[in-house]
Amino acid sequence: MEFFQKTLDPIIALAAIAVLDIFLFLTVGAWTVGGGETMMTGLAAKLVMGDAVYRIPFWNFAFPPDPSYWKIYISLGMVFGAFLGAVLSKEFYWRMPHRVWEWVMITVGGLLMGIGIRLAFVCNVSTFFGLTPEMNLGGYLAVSGILAGAWVGTWIYKKTLED
Amino acid sequence: MTPVAECVAAFIFGTTVGLLVQRSRYCNVAALRDAMLFKTYRNTKAMLVAMMIMTLGFTAFITIGSGKPMHFDVGLNTFIGLFLFGIGMVLAGACTVSTWVKAGEGNLGAWWALLFTFVGMFLFSLLWSFVYWPPAPATMTGAPNVAGLQFGFANAATLQAKTGIPAIAFGLVQTVVLAAIYRAIVRRERQRSQANAAAGSAESTACDAWADPSGAAPQGAMARAADQGA
Repeated sequence: MEFFQKTLDPIIALAAIAVLDIFLFLTVGAWTVGGGETMMTGLAAKLVMGDAVYRIPFWNFAFPPDPSYWKIYISLGMVFGAFLGAVLSKEFYWRMPHRVWEWVMITVGGLLMGIGIRLAFVCNVSTFFGLTPEMNLGGYLAVSGILAGAWVGTWIYKKTLED
Repeated sequence: MTPVAECVAAFIFGTTVGLLVQRSRYCNVAALRDAMLFKTYRNTKAMLVAMMIMTLGFTAFITIGSGKPMHFDVGLNTFIGLFLFGIGMVLAGACTVSTWVKAGEGNLGAWWALLFTFVGMFLFSLLWSFVYWPPAPATMTGAPNVAGLQFGFANAATLQAKTGIPAIAFGLVQTVVLAAIYRAIVRRERQRSQANAAAGSAESTACDAWADPSGAAPQGAMARAADQGA
Protein backbone atom coordinates (compact mmCIF):
# COMPACT_ATOMS: atom_id res chain seq x y z
CA MET A 1 0.00 0.00 0.00
CA GLU A 2 1.49 3.32 -1.12
CA PHE A 3 0.47 5.07 2.11
CA PHE A 4 3.00 2.95 4.00
CA GLN A 5 5.77 3.22 1.42
CA LYS A 6 6.07 6.98 0.92
CA THR A 7 6.34 9.86 3.38
CA LEU A 8 3.06 11.75 3.55
CA ASP A 9 3.10 15.51 2.89
CA PRO A 10 2.82 17.05 6.40
CA ILE A 11 0.45 19.72 5.07
CA ILE A 12 -2.01 17.01 3.97
CA ALA A 13 -1.56 15.15 7.29
CA LEU A 14 -2.09 18.26 9.40
CA ALA A 15 -5.06 19.42 7.30
CA ALA A 16 -6.70 16.02 7.92
CA ILE A 17 -5.91 16.25 11.65
CA ALA A 18 -7.39 19.78 11.73
CA VAL A 19 -10.69 18.55 10.23
CA LEU A 20 -10.80 15.64 12.71
CA ASP A 21 -10.00 18.05 15.55
CA ILE A 22 -13.08 20.10 14.59
CA PHE A 23 -15.21 16.95 15.01
CA LEU A 24 -13.53 16.26 18.35
CA PHE A 25 -14.18 19.89 19.38
CA LEU A 26 -17.89 19.32 18.67
CA THR A 27 -18.10 16.06 20.62
CA VAL A 28 -15.72 16.11 23.62
CA GLY A 29 -13.34 19.07 23.23
CA ALA A 30 -10.30 20.08 21.18
CA TRP A 31 -7.14 17.95 20.93
CA THR A 32 -4.92 18.13 23.99
CA VAL A 33 -2.18 15.92 25.42
CA GLY A 34 -0.98 17.52 28.68
CA GLY A 35 -4.22 16.84 30.58
CA GLY A 36 -4.09 13.15 29.73
CA GLU A 37 -0.43 12.96 30.74
CA THR A 38 -1.22 14.62 34.08
CA MET A 39 -3.98 12.10 34.71
CA MET A 40 -1.58 9.25 33.86
CA THR A 41 0.90 10.71 36.36
CA GLY A 42 -1.84 10.76 39.01
CA LEU A 43 -2.87 7.18 38.23
CA ALA A 44 0.77 6.03 38.36
CA ALA A 45 1.23 7.83 41.69
CA LYS A 46 -1.93 6.15 43.01
CA LEU A 47 -0.64 2.76 41.86
CA VAL A 48 2.61 3.28 43.77
CA MET A 49 1.33 5.20 46.81
CA GLY A 50 -2.22 3.87 47.14
CA ASP A 51 -4.71 6.18 48.87
CA ALA A 52 -1.78 8.14 50.37
CA VAL A 53 -1.72 10.06 47.07
CA TYR A 54 -4.84 11.93 48.24
CA ARG A 55 -2.78 13.43 51.08
CA ILE A 56 -1.10 15.52 48.40
CA PRO A 57 -3.59 18.38 47.91
CA PHE A 58 -2.95 18.64 44.16
CA TRP A 59 -4.22 15.09 43.59
CA ASN A 60 -7.08 15.57 46.03
CA PHE A 61 -8.45 18.95 44.95
CA ALA A 62 -7.00 19.96 41.58
CA PHE A 63 -6.65 16.69 39.67
CA PRO A 64 -8.14 13.58 41.37
CA PRO A 65 -6.91 10.47 39.47
CA ASP A 66 -9.68 9.08 37.24
CA PRO A 67 -9.10 6.33 34.62
CA SER A 68 -12.24 7.35 32.68
CA TYR A 69 -10.71 10.75 31.80
CA TRP A 70 -11.04 10.83 27.98
CA LYS A 71 -7.81 12.77 27.34
CA ILE A 72 -5.71 9.78 28.47
CA TYR A 73 -7.00 7.80 25.50
CA ILE A 74 -5.78 10.36 22.95
CA SER A 75 -2.19 9.69 24.07
CA LEU A 76 -2.71 5.92 24.14
CA GLY A 77 -4.24 6.15 20.66
CA MET A 78 -1.26 8.16 19.40
CA VAL A 79 1.30 5.60 20.58
CA PHE A 80 -0.84 2.78 19.09
CA GLY A 81 -1.35 4.61 15.77
CA ALA A 82 2.36 5.38 15.50
CA PHE A 83 3.23 1.74 16.31
CA LEU A 84 0.79 0.59 13.62
CA GLY A 85 2.24 3.01 11.08
CA ALA A 86 5.82 2.06 11.93
CA VAL A 87 5.16 -1.70 11.74
CA LEU A 88 3.18 -1.54 8.49
CA SER A 89 5.81 0.67 6.86
CA LYS A 90 8.63 -1.53 8.24
CA GLU A 91 10.04 1.44 10.17
CA PHE A 92 9.68 -0.04 13.64
CA TYR A 93 12.93 -0.86 15.36
CA TRP A 94 14.36 -0.30 18.82
CA ARG A 95 16.66 2.71 18.85
CA MET A 96 18.24 4.80 21.55
CA PRO A 97 20.50 7.84 21.93
CA HIS A 98 24.17 6.83 22.17
CA ARG A 99 25.80 9.81 23.84
CA VAL A 100 25.57 10.75 27.52
CA TRP A 101 24.81 14.41 26.74
CA GLU A 102 21.78 13.33 24.73
CA TRP A 103 20.36 11.42 27.73
CA VAL A 104 21.04 14.47 29.93
CA MET A 105 19.26 16.79 27.47
CA ILE A 106 16.27 14.43 27.23
CA THR A 107 16.05 14.13 31.03
CA VAL A 108 16.22 17.90 31.62
CA GLY A 109 13.90 18.53 28.66
CA GLY A 110 11.33 16.01 29.91
CA LEU A 111 11.35 17.52 33.42
CA LEU A 112 10.90 21.04 32.04
CA MET A 113 8.04 19.91 29.81
CA GLY A 114 6.26 18.25 32.73
CA ILE A 115 6.70 21.26 35.05
CA GLY A 116 5.74 23.68 32.26
CA ILE A 117 2.53 21.81 31.38
CA ARG A 118 1.33 21.78 34.98
CA LEU A 119 2.27 25.40 35.58
CA ALA A 120 0.44 26.61 32.47
CA PHE A 121 -2.43 24.04 32.47
CA VAL A 122 -1.69 23.60 28.76
CA CYS A 123 0.86 21.94 26.48
CA ASN A 124 2.01 22.81 22.96
CA VAL A 125 -0.89 20.87 21.41
CA SER A 126 -3.53 22.80 23.36
CA THR A 127 -1.66 25.98 22.47
CA PHE A 128 -1.60 25.53 18.70
CA PHE A 129 -4.53 23.14 18.15
CA GLY A 130 -7.00 24.27 20.81
CA LEU A 131 -6.62 27.60 22.56
CA THR A 132 -5.33 29.74 19.68
CA PRO A 133 -7.93 28.52 17.11
CA GLU A 134 -10.59 29.16 19.80
CA MET A 135 -9.09 32.68 20.05
CA ASN A 136 -8.56 32.15 23.77
CA LEU A 137 -6.42 34.79 25.47
CA GLY A 138 -4.36 31.93 26.90
CA GLY A 139 -3.46 30.85 23.36
CA TYR A 140 -1.67 34.11 22.64
CA LEU A 141 0.11 34.07 26.02
CA ALA A 142 1.12 30.45 25.44
CA VAL A 143 2.33 31.08 21.87
CA SER A 144 4.48 33.99 23.13
CA GLY A 145 5.88 31.80 25.91
CA ILE A 146 6.63 28.78 23.72
CA LEU A 147 8.30 30.92 21.02
CA ALA A 148 10.52 32.58 23.62
CA GLY A 149 11.27 29.20 25.24
CA ALA A 150 11.99 27.52 21.89
CA TRP A 151 14.38 30.37 21.05
CA VAL A 152 16.28 29.89 24.33
CA GLY A 153 16.19 26.09 23.90
CA THR A 154 17.49 26.41 20.34
CA TRP A 155 20.34 28.62 21.56
CA ILE A 156 21.31 26.04 24.22
CA TYR A 157 20.96 23.21 21.68
CA LYS A 158 23.17 25.05 19.17
CA LYS A 159 25.83 25.74 21.81
CA THR A 160 25.77 22.05 22.85
CA LEU A 161 26.22 20.92 19.24
CA GLU A 162 29.10 23.35 18.75
CA ASP A 163 30.99 22.24 21.90
CA MET B 1 -21.93 11.32 25.41
CA THR B 2 -21.19 8.65 27.98
CA PRO B 3 -17.66 8.54 29.48
CA VAL B 4 -16.99 5.27 27.59
CA ALA B 5 -18.05 6.84 24.27
CA GLU B 6 -15.81 9.85 25.01
CA CYS B 7 -12.85 7.56 25.65
CA VAL B 8 -13.54 5.56 22.46
CA ALA B 9 -13.81 8.76 20.38
CA ALA B 10 -10.55 10.02 21.92
CA PHE B 11 -8.77 6.72 21.21
CA ILE B 12 -9.92 6.65 17.55
CA PHE B 13 -8.82 10.28 17.14
CA GLY B 14 -5.46 9.58 18.81
CA THR B 15 -4.84 6.49 16.67
CA THR B 16 -5.52 8.44 13.46
CA VAL B 17 -3.28 11.28 14.62
CA GLY B 18 -0.49 8.85 15.56
CA LEU B 19 -0.69 7.21 12.15
CA LEU B 20 -0.73 10.50 10.22
CA VAL B 21 2.10 12.04 12.25
CA GLN B 22 4.21 8.88 11.93
CA ARG B 23 3.72 8.71 8.16
CA SER B 24 4.30 12.43 7.57
CA ARG B 25 7.23 12.85 10.01
CA TYR B 26 5.50 15.97 11.30
CA CYS B 27 7.04 17.42 14.46
CA ASN B 28 5.96 20.44 16.48
CA VAL B 29 9.49 20.95 17.80
CA ALA B 30 10.82 21.02 14.26
CA ALA B 31 8.10 23.52 13.33
CA LEU B 32 9.70 26.01 15.73
CA ARG B 33 13.33 24.87 16.10
CA ASP B 34 14.04 24.32 12.39
CA ALA B 35 12.51 27.69 11.51
CA MET B 36 14.79 29.39 14.05
CA LEU B 37 17.96 27.33 13.57
CA PHE B 38 17.97 26.16 9.96
CA LYS B 39 15.46 28.56 8.37
CA THR B 40 13.54 25.56 7.00
CA TYR B 41 9.76 25.60 7.25
CA ARG B 42 8.41 22.17 6.21
CA ASN B 43 6.66 21.63 9.55
CA THR B 44 5.91 25.30 10.24
CA LYS B 45 3.81 25.55 7.07
CA ALA B 46 1.84 22.41 7.98
CA MET B 47 1.15 23.80 11.45
CA LEU B 48 -0.05 27.12 10.00
CA VAL B 49 -2.41 25.37 7.55
CA ALA B 50 -3.91 23.32 10.40
CA MET B 51 -4.33 26.45 12.53
CA MET B 52 -6.12 28.25 9.69
CA ILE B 53 -8.57 25.36 9.17
CA MET B 54 -9.22 25.01 12.91
CA THR B 55 -9.64 28.75 13.47
CA LEU B 56 -12.35 28.87 10.79
CA GLY B 57 -14.00 25.65 12.00
CA PHE B 58 -13.94 26.44 15.72
CA THR B 59 -15.10 30.04 15.40
CA ALA B 60 -17.86 29.05 12.92
CA PHE B 61 -19.28 26.59 15.45
CA ILE B 62 -18.71 28.97 18.39
CA THR B 63 -20.79 31.55 16.45
CA ILE B 64 -23.84 29.26 16.58
CA GLY B 65 -23.15 28.18 20.17
CA SER B 66 -21.80 24.71 19.32
CA GLY B 67 -18.58 23.01 20.33
CA LYS B 68 -16.79 22.57 23.61
CA PRO B 69 -14.12 25.26 24.00
CA MET B 70 -11.57 24.97 26.80
CA HIS B 71 -12.67 26.98 29.80
CA PHE B 72 -10.16 28.06 32.44
CA ASP B 73 -8.52 31.28 33.56
CA VAL B 74 -5.14 32.22 32.14
CA GLY B 75 -2.41 34.35 33.61
CA LEU B 76 1.29 34.83 34.01
CA ASN B 77 1.60 31.10 34.69
CA THR B 78 0.48 30.42 31.09
CA PHE B 79 3.40 32.39 29.68
CA ILE B 80 6.00 31.08 32.15
CA GLY B 81 4.79 27.48 31.85
CA LEU B 82 5.01 27.46 28.06
CA PHE B 83 8.37 29.25 28.22
CA LEU B 84 9.74 26.36 30.31
CA PHE B 85 7.98 23.88 28.04
CA GLY B 86 9.53 25.51 24.95
CA ILE B 87 13.05 25.12 26.35
CA GLY B 88 12.29 21.55 27.42
CA MET B 89 10.89 20.38 24.10
CA VAL B 90 13.91 21.64 22.15
CA LEU B 91 16.34 20.02 24.61
CA ALA B 92 14.41 16.75 24.59
CA GLY B 93 14.08 16.91 20.79
CA ALA B 94 10.38 16.08 21.05
CA CYS B 95 7.12 17.63 22.23
CA THR B 96 4.00 16.00 23.66
CA VAL B 97 3.01 14.63 20.24
CA SER B 98 6.37 13.44 18.99
CA THR B 99 7.29 11.75 22.29
CA TRP B 100 4.25 9.46 21.96
CA VAL B 101 4.80 8.95 18.21
CA LYS B 102 8.54 8.24 18.56
CA ALA B 103 7.78 5.95 21.50
CA GLY B 104 5.43 4.00 19.19
CA GLU B 105 8.26 3.70 16.64
CA GLY B 106 10.48 2.05 19.26
CA ASN B 107 12.56 5.03 20.35
CA LEU B 108 13.76 4.42 23.94
CA GLY B 109 14.84 8.06 24.27
CA ALA B 110 11.19 9.07 23.77
CA TRP B 111 10.06 6.67 26.53
CA TRP B 112 12.71 8.23 28.77
CA ALA B 113 11.44 11.75 27.91
CA LEU B 114 7.87 10.65 28.75
CA LEU B 115 9.01 9.19 32.06
CA PHE B 116 10.67 12.46 33.04
CA THR B 117 7.69 14.50 31.83
CA PHE B 118 5.63 12.50 34.33
CA VAL B 119 8.31 13.01 37.01
CA GLY B 120 8.24 16.77 36.30
CA MET B 121 4.46 16.80 36.65
CA PHE B 122 4.62 14.93 39.95
CA LEU B 123 7.32 17.28 41.29
CA PHE B 124 5.16 20.25 40.34
CA SER B 125 2.15 18.64 42.07
CA LEU B 126 4.22 18.62 45.30
CA LEU B 127 5.23 22.25 44.85
CA TRP B 128 1.63 23.29 44.07
CA SER B 129 0.47 21.60 47.27
CA PHE B 130 2.56 24.16 49.21
CA VAL B 131 2.03 27.35 47.19
CA TYR B 132 -1.45 26.73 45.70
CA TRP B 133 -0.47 28.69 42.60
CA PRO B 134 -1.69 28.92 39.92
CA PRO B 135 -5.26 28.75 41.28
CA ALA B 136 -7.03 25.39 40.92
CA PRO B 137 -9.64 25.24 38.12
CA ALA B 138 -12.44 24.85 40.70
CA THR B 139 -11.64 28.27 42.19
CA MET B 140 -11.47 30.14 38.87
CA THR B 141 -14.07 32.84 38.31
CA GLY B 142 -13.33 34.02 34.76
CA ALA B 143 -12.59 37.54 36.03
CA PRO B 144 -9.11 39.07 36.36
CA ASN B 145 -7.46 38.25 39.69
CA VAL B 146 -4.50 40.54 40.41
CA ALA B 147 -3.43 38.72 43.59
CA GLY B 148 -3.32 35.40 41.72
CA LEU B 149 -1.65 37.00 38.66
CA GLN B 150 -4.63 35.86 36.56
CA PHE B 151 -6.04 37.73 33.57
CA GLY B 152 -9.34 35.81 33.60
CA PHE B 153 -11.05 34.09 30.68
CA ALA B 154 -11.65 35.38 27.16
CA ASN B 155 -12.18 33.62 23.83
CA ALA B 156 -14.12 34.00 20.57
CA ALA B 157 -17.42 33.37 22.41
CA THR B 158 -16.83 36.15 24.96
CA LEU B 159 -15.76 38.49 22.13
CA GLN B 160 -19.04 37.74 20.35
CA ALA B 161 -21.05 38.27 23.55
CA LYS B 162 -19.33 41.58 24.34
CA THR B 163 -19.27 43.13 20.86
CA GLY B 164 -22.28 41.54 19.16
CA ILE B 165 -19.99 40.71 16.21
CA PRO B 166 -20.16 37.02 15.20
CA ALA B 167 -17.15 35.00 16.37
CA ILE B 168 -16.49 33.85 12.80
CA ALA B 169 -15.61 37.47 11.87
CA PHE B 170 -12.79 37.43 14.42
CA GLY B 171 -11.84 33.99 13.16
CA LEU B 172 -11.55 35.33 9.62
CA VAL B 173 -9.22 38.10 10.80
CA GLN B 174 -6.99 35.56 12.59
CA THR B 175 -7.00 33.31 9.51
CA VAL B 176 -5.90 36.21 7.31
CA VAL B 177 -3.01 36.93 9.71
CA LEU B 178 -1.95 33.24 9.68
CA ALA B 179 -2.23 33.19 5.86
CA ALA B 180 -0.02 36.29 5.66
CA ILE B 181 2.65 34.54 7.77
CA TYR B 182 2.37 31.46 5.52
CA ARG B 183 2.75 33.63 2.40
CA ALA B 184 5.81 35.40 3.83
CA ILE B 185 7.42 32.00 4.52
CA VAL B 186 6.72 30.74 0.98
CA ARG B 187 8.15 33.96 -0.48
CA ARG B 188 11.28 33.60 1.68
CA GLU B 189 11.71 29.97 0.63
CA ARG B 190 11.40 30.95 -3.04
CA GLN B 191 14.02 33.70 -2.67
CA ARG B 192 16.34 31.30 -0.87
CA SER B 193 16.00 28.56 -3.47
CA GLN B 194 16.67 31.09 -6.25
CA ALA B 195 19.78 32.31 -4.41
CA ASN B 196 20.92 28.72 -3.84
CA ALA B 197 20.34 27.84 -7.49
CA ALA B 198 22.39 30.85 -8.60
CA ALA B 199 25.19 29.97 -6.16
CA GLY B 200 25.03 26.31 -7.21
CA SER B 201 25.32 27.15 -10.86
CA ALA B 202 28.37 29.38 -10.19
CA GLU B 203 30.00 26.67 -8.04
CA SER B 204 29.31 23.88 -10.52
CA THR B 205 31.07 25.88 -13.20
CA ALA B 206 34.11 26.16 -10.92
CA CYS B 207 34.18 22.61 -9.61
CA ASP B 208 31.33 20.13 -10.16
CA ALA B 209 32.66 17.61 -7.66
CA TRP B 210 32.44 19.92 -4.64
CA ALA B 211 29.28 21.87 -5.41
CA ASP B 212 26.41 21.42 -2.93
CA PRO B 213 23.66 23.67 -4.25
CA SER B 214 21.05 22.54 -1.72
CA GLY B 215 23.26 23.25 1.27
CA ALA B 216 21.61 20.16 2.77
CA ALA B 217 24.66 18.36 4.13
CA PRO B 218 25.25 20.23 7.41
CA GLN B 219 21.55 20.59 7.96
CA GLY B 220 21.02 16.86 7.47
CA ALA B 221 23.80 16.06 9.92
CA MET B 222 22.27 18.33 12.56
CA ALA B 223 18.80 16.97 11.88
CA ARG B 224 20.09 13.41 12.29
CA ALA B 225 21.62 14.36 15.62
CA ALA B 226 18.28 15.84 16.65
CA ASP B 227 16.46 12.70 15.56
CA GLN B 228 18.78 10.56 17.63
CA GLY B 229 18.11 12.92 20.53
CA ALA B 230 14.63 11.52 21.16
